Formats: sequence, structure tokens, C-alpha cells
Amino acid sequence: MATATTPTTSFEAPLVEPFGPRPAPRGDRLRSWRWRHRLAFLVCWACGLALCGVTAAIVIYMGVRGIQYLNLDLLFSRPQPGLAQHTTGGILDPIAGTVMLTIIGIVIAVPLGVTTAVWLVEYGRPAPLARAVESAIEMIAGTPDIVIAIFGLAIFQLPILAPLSFTASGGGVFGRSFLAAGAMMSLIALPLAFGAAREGLMAIPSHMREASWALGKTRICTIRTILLPQIRANVATGAALGMGRIVGDTAVVVVLLGATLQIEAQGDVPVLGTLRGTGSTLTSYVYNASPAGEGNAPQKAYAAAFVLLMIVLVLNLVVDLVGRGRKERR
Amino acid sequence: MPRGPRQPWTDRQAAWRLGAVACLVLLVIVLMVGFVAVRAWPALQANGFVHWLGPGGDVDRQLGDMIKTGQDPPDAAYHLRAWPLIYGTLLTTGVSVVVGLAFSVFSAIFIVEFAPDRLRGAVVPAVRLLAAVPSVIYGLIGILVLAPFVGNHLISLDRKASVQNVVQLDGTGVLVAIVVLTVMITPIMIAIVVDALRAIPPAWTEGASALGANRWEAMWTVSVRAARPAIVAAAVLACARALGEAVALSMISGSRGFSPNPADGITYIFEPIRPLAASMVENVDAINAPAVKSSVYAFALLLLLSSLALSVGGYVAKLPMRRQGLRI
Amino acid sequence: MTRSHRLTAAVATAGVLAVAAPAGAQAASTITISGATGSAPLVALLAKKYVKLKPGKVKFKLAQGGGEVGVQDAAAGRVTIGNAARDPRPSDPAGLVFYPIAKDFFCFDTNPANPVPDLTLAQAQAIWTGQVRNWEDVPGSKVTGTIDLIGRTSASSLPPLVQQLLLGNKTISSLAALKPSDGLVEQTVASDKNAIGFNSGYYASQKDVHAVSFNGVACNLQNAKSGQYPGVRNYYEVTRGPAKGAASAFIHWIQKSPVARKIIAAIAIPLD
Repeated sequence: MATATTPTTSFEAPLVEPFGPRPAPRGDRLRSWRWRHRLAFLVCWACGLALCGVTAAIVIYMGVRGIQYLNLDLLFSRPQPGLAQHTTGGILDPIAGTVMLTIIGIVIAVPLGVTTAVWLVEYGRPAPLARAVESAIEMIAGTPDIVIAIFGLAIFQLPILAPLSFTASGGGVFGRSFLAAGAMMSLIALPLAFGAAREGLMAIPSHMREASWALGKTRICTIRTILLPQIRANVATGAALGMGRIVGDTAVVVVLLGATLQIEAQGDVPVLGTLRGTGSTLTSYVYNASPAGEGNAPQKAYAAAFVLLMIVLVLNLVVDLVGRGRKERR
Repeated sequence: MPRGPRQPWTDRQAAWRLGAVACLVLLVIVLMVGFVAVRAWPALQANGFVHWLGPGGDVDRQLGDMIKTGQDPPDAAYHLRAWPLIYGTLLTTGVSVVVGLAFSVFSAIFIVEFAPDRLRGAVVPAVRLLAAVPSVIYGLIGILVLAPFVGNHLISLDRKASVQNVVQLDGTGVLVAIVVLTVMITPIMIAIVVDALRAIPPAWTEGASALGANRWEAMWTVSVRAARPAIVAAAVLACARALGEAVALSMISGSRGFSPNPADGITYIFEPIRPLAASMVENVDAINAPAVKSSVYAFALLLLLSSLALSVGGYVAKLPMRRQGLRI
Repeated sequence: MTRSHRLTAAVATAGVLAVAAPAGAQAASTITISGATGSAPLVALLAKKYVKLKPGKVKFKLAQGGGEVGVQDAAAGRVTIGNAARDPRPSDPAGLVFYPIAKDFFCFDTNPANPVPDLTLAQAQAIWTGQVRNWEDVPGSKVTGTIDLIGRTSASSLPPLVQQLLLGNKTISSLAALKPSDGLVEQTVASDKNAIGFNSGYYASQKDVHAVSFNGVACNLQNAKSGQYPGVRNYYEVTRGPAKGAASAFIHWIQKSPVARKIIAAIAIPLD
């Protein structure tokens, strides 16, 4: 069943020659148009300019507020509980939380997505199963992130998954931890990684595969040695897109990360303890500090939002550069 | 026991191993629908599905009462009439997608056809940037800038007084929600439509010009018509995004389970609402109470079914275009 | 990697974990707390001091959610201690133990531009049930226009207490805005000239909002301590069954230690 296409790379392709409007045919002066068409022309221009205006307004406003309220001290001190805004500390833990969650999400999503794409493109038998898997990925792409978060809560509060988070003394499984949130974040990044890998694989001409088979290599060996290295750039783009989505997601964090101000490890095993523990990320910190959460600290919210925006813009730039590099090499 | 170098996988082994991993993905979706449906069942069964969707009473109070009902609630504790939330969702999603679609098509035509090169170099990254901004930042700007502006300057004291016996107006509400949601979903639509317009063979539009059409006519009657499948796809995608937007809307839509009354005239757009996804986020703190848990999962089930219906609807809407030879 | 290499790696990892685990067996015990937003800053400060006094012995996980949520979480065993900001009710789940730790008082607050000097019981009832909707009809008010009622969500225990102690058991109108925390009520009242809300007395002392006297009695610390002002609530730590282990030690420290009493006296009323 063909469903809406996920725009994995539709807008990442940079400006490619030939691009742009055809030069206007001679004699096509605006004065010769009907008034309806002139109106439409104006509307198009108005929409385009409004787009630039809105973007500029958002960037400039966030920039001004961010520079106003962000200082180096905030970036490196930990958040503290407190009643008044100036006692609530900095945003170091949310930044660390964002980084950790992104890493966990990508580490799960990229291998899963690439494997699924490889199976779908190179094997894909039986055909109904392949179509079902493709539809499943489209469904995951279309699912709201709050539903994915709620599903994560249902799964991770099962007793069988208790070691992945914290069990309260009364026997209730807490179900919220970095592992839980990371697993659900990987679902959010999965369609992007899958789409990018699949596009890369389908772009490889079949004569490469056939040449390898003619030399006696098995299919799996061809995949491992020839195809996978070629789609490295695609997978990197997909991973960067996925990271962008993970960094910007709030619903999964609010539901599944336990909402503690500082990163609190669970148990004493060094890395595993932090993974099983709770914390916050930049997005949940902004949400809680804004007038909609429980914190009531708009200045800290602006500072954290500014840092968040910078991270997302840098990731976008990376996607841009990787994509442009790829196009130039082709 | 040494066994010599590891044997490489045979193709058959590789096929089923990779296939097993791919089936994990399928399993995830099946589990998701299953878990959500099972947990939503008590609430839907206690209320009756049709009644649960309908109006009746103050949904905020009903949700609030659920918190106090303890661990083993009787059927009466699940009482909920979710219509105000559904109405809020339909209102924000519907209007945002329609307005956003119009805006996107015109913007896409601008980017592809009318923009001078330098301006295009500014607009294209601008759209990409808008698409990348996290939703919580949209919500922050909405609640710290737009809502106070609307509350202090657009809502006059008379207007507040006119509805003061029914609801309180404070700036957050339908208008701010629709404006911010439109800005959030437009970049996605622009990306898809621009791609589709660029993929139209130039010969088609040149043919139109040869027959005497001006640039706008050629664009509108040929390119946009040919890009209709993409426009439908863009609308479906934007609809899915708007339905699922929880955090930004919970910050700016007023946080009241209230059904705005069209009979109020212009005041209608200032009245507060709360869409389904936002209700889920706001009630997640209390989710340990079984009645609340079941209701929240019922909202999730509704959202899941809507996403599915959207995909099917999009496919069905594109079927007649297939007959015209357009590539879907 | 050959088979033997992989086996060695696995054994080494298991060995490291095995060594780390017994060290972890003497780990700090974790106390999870959730509940009222009113007492949350107080409990957070107490927890911070406790951890400093007894390092390595205990760790805290603090969440909020509202007083009702805290009681239900404690009853279900999802948290060790629930913060409650109201007295135990007969409808509470069985088996809960309420340990009182402090008292607090709450006032009606208005914007500083509208310093209403006093509200009688009848006036308060009329305003909060939605009968009176304009400030012009309230004697002593300095603004005109619609009264903006700022209330709390149902997860908070404050509305039932306000209804019981300051509104003669009348129900707050459904017109009231529902804010999820004390801090937000304060922020809203401080920025909206036409707003009236109810909040912990601490915020009035910060001068951001104006505390309204009730029935002629000023809303301040002395009147609350002496009992003249009716709007007083008790903060409790709630556990399922009698508190055990680290939770018990923490609660007894709060109730008995002079250091804890000093912290409580800074932002609430200590028990005596």
C-alpha cells in the first residue's frame, strides 16, 4: 500500500544545475497579464517574503534573548532546586542528557535501519512480508511522538524490563530511564536512517552487484564489502537527520526520562548506572522552565532554548555539507 | 574446542538473519497497536465508544476526579466525554492544514518560478531552518511573545467581559494555536511541493508558453496540476504532524477542555482549547491512577487510528490521479 | 575475532562487572519522592542538606506532580515517600502513614496594582463561585473589568483546602484557569492586573503579589501561628506502611534535627 512519502532527502538536495526559473519568454511583461494573474503573482511574492520574515524574526528573537540570558556560568553549572530564578543553577545536566540520549538513539536506530534497508532492497522475499515491513516503517514515521512515548511507558513498566530502570521499594517498576527514552528515540530516528540507506542502495547501479556476483562473491559478501561502503555518506546524512529529530523531541523525554533536574544514576555500576538513571534534556528543561511546566523560569528557558537551537542548526549544517559533498563527487 | 576460521554466512543464512531483524520493526508496530488498544479498553468499554467520543460535562473536571479514585476504580470512575478535546484537535489541525497548504503552494511557486536567484538563495535555507526548529521553541515563543501580545492588545476588556460567565480569555487559545501550528507544518509541505514542481519536465511548461500562457498560467495550469499527488502527500504528512503535535500546543492552546462556541462571533478565535495530544502530555504526571491511564491510552488509540486513516485516505485520494497517468 | 578471543573478552567483562557489583551492593539506598509542588522546594532543600550531612549513604530522586499524585504514588508503591499538603482523608487508600513535617499558610493574592484590603467570607464566595464577575462590584478594588480567577489543577491538594477553610465549602467555579504549580499562579497574578489567585504565604512575603486579608485578619505568619487566620495547611511525608530504613531515618531527621528546623523556618512554619 503506497502511503505518503517520508521526505527523507527531498529538501536536502542543494541547488543543482540547471535550476531556477526558465528565463521569462520574450514579451511576457507583467503589464500584459490579467489582473487575476497579477494578484496571484503578488500573493506568491508576499508568501515568499513572509517566509523569510518569519524565519528572520524567529532567529533574531531567539538570538537576542539567548545572548541576553546565556552566560558561560550557566553552561557549566548544574541545575539546582530553588524557589527564585537566580537560585536554580545552570544547564550542564540537560546538555549532557541531550548528548547521551542522542547517542543511545542513533546507536540503536542506524544499525537497525541499515539492516532493514539492506534486507528490503537486496533480499525482500517473501514479497508480502517486504511490503508489510515497508508499511510498518511508514506507520512508525507517521506516529505522533507522544504515542511512541506512551507505548514506551507501557513496555518499560513491565516487570520483565525492570533491570532497565528503577524499581521502587513498593514493587512498582518506575519505567523511566535513559535506556527507555533512548530506545523510543531510536524509533523516531529509524525511518530517517532507513530511508537514507534505502535511497543509497537503490542508487547503486545494478552492474556493480552483477560484477561482484560474476566474480563468485555471495550476495552477503557483496553487501558487506561493496555496497555498504558506498552508502556511507547516505547513512551519515540519515544519522544526522535522525539526530536532529532526536535533539528536538520533547514528548518522549517528558514522559520517559523521569524529570529529575540533575542526572541521577541508578545503582553504582559506572556506565550502566547512568543509563538506568533519570535526568533531563534541553527540551524538557525548556518545557519545565517555561510558563507551561512547573518551573517558572523564563530567562533560563530562553538560554536553554538558544543552546538547543544552536545544536540543531549545527546538525543541519552538517547534513548540508555532507549532502553537497556527495553531489559534487557524483 | 578450536574449529578453524569462522565460516562466512551463506546467502540463505544471511537472508533469514537479516529478515529477522527487519521483522523486529514489524513486531514493534504490532506491539504498539496491541499495547495501546489493551490499555485503552477499560475506558472505552466503561463509557461506550460512541458516548466516549461525544459531548457532556466538563472534561477537565472529569479527568481531575479520576485522579482521586485509587487503584481499583469502579466503572463509574472512568466517566469521560472527550468531545471538547476532539473538537479542539479537529479545529486546529483542519484550519492549519488548509491555510498551510495554500501558503505552501504559493511559496513553492515563488521559489521555483518567480524568485530572483539571490532571494532564492535566502528562502531555501530559511525553509530548511524552519523545518529544523524544535517544537518546544515554537511553543516558547508562542507563550512568551504571541500569547501576551494577543492577551494584552488584541483582546479588549469588553470582549473578555462578554464571555466572562462562560470562560476566561487570557491570550492563549485558538488563534495562537493555529498560527504557530501553521508555521510549524508549512516547511514540510513546501519541501515536498518544491521537489514535485522541480521534477516536472520543462517541455510541458514550455509547451504552455508556446500556446500563449504567461508564466503564472503555465505554472498553475500545468505544473501545479501535474504535482497534485505530491500536494496530497504533503497535506497528509502535514496533517499527521499537526495531529501529533503535543508539546507546543500544550503550551499555547489554552489548556482548557473547552468547546469554543461559533455563536460568539470573533471571540471564537480567542477562546481556549486543548487538543488530544496536548491533553496526553498534561495528564502524564497522574498516569499512575488506573482511570487516568486508561483514558490517556484511549486518546493515544484515537491518534493512532487517525494516523492510519490519514495514510489510507491519502492513498485513496491519489488513486484517480493515477488514472490520468501521473506518477504517484 | 576468533572464537578464543571472543571468549576471553567475555570473561574479562564479566570479571569487571563481578568486581564492581559487590562494591555496588553497599550502594546508597535511593529514596524517591513525588507530590505537592508547594512543599517540593522545602523537601528539596532538606534533601540537599541531608545528603551533605550523610554523604554516600542515601540518594534522592525528587519529582513533583501535585499533592494528590503524591499520595496515590505512595499508595501504589511507585515512590518511597509522597509529599502531601493536606490532612489525611477517609477516602485515602488504606495503609498510608502521614508524618507531619511542617505547616504553611495560604492567602488570596491579587496584583500589586489592585491591593484589595480585605475580603469577607461572603465576598470571597461570590468571587470564587463566579457570581460576581467584575472588579467594580468588589469594594476596595482599584481596577475595573473582568475578574480573572487563577486556580490550580485537580492534581493539587490546595483547591479542596481553600474550599473548606476559606470558602465555607463552596466549590470553585469551573471558570478558573488551571495552573499546575504555585510558581505559575504567582507569575500569572503578578503580571495580570485583574487576576486573583490563592497561593502559599511565602509568595506574598516576596512582595510580587498582594496578600488579601480574610474576614479582617491579615494573612501573615503571626496570625497563622496564633490560629487567628484560618488558611493553614499541614505538610506531610506519606509512606505506605510505617517508614523503614533510609526513609525512616530521613523523616525522623526532619522532625527532630535543629538543622532541619532552621531550613523549615526559612520558608514555612516549623512544628513545635
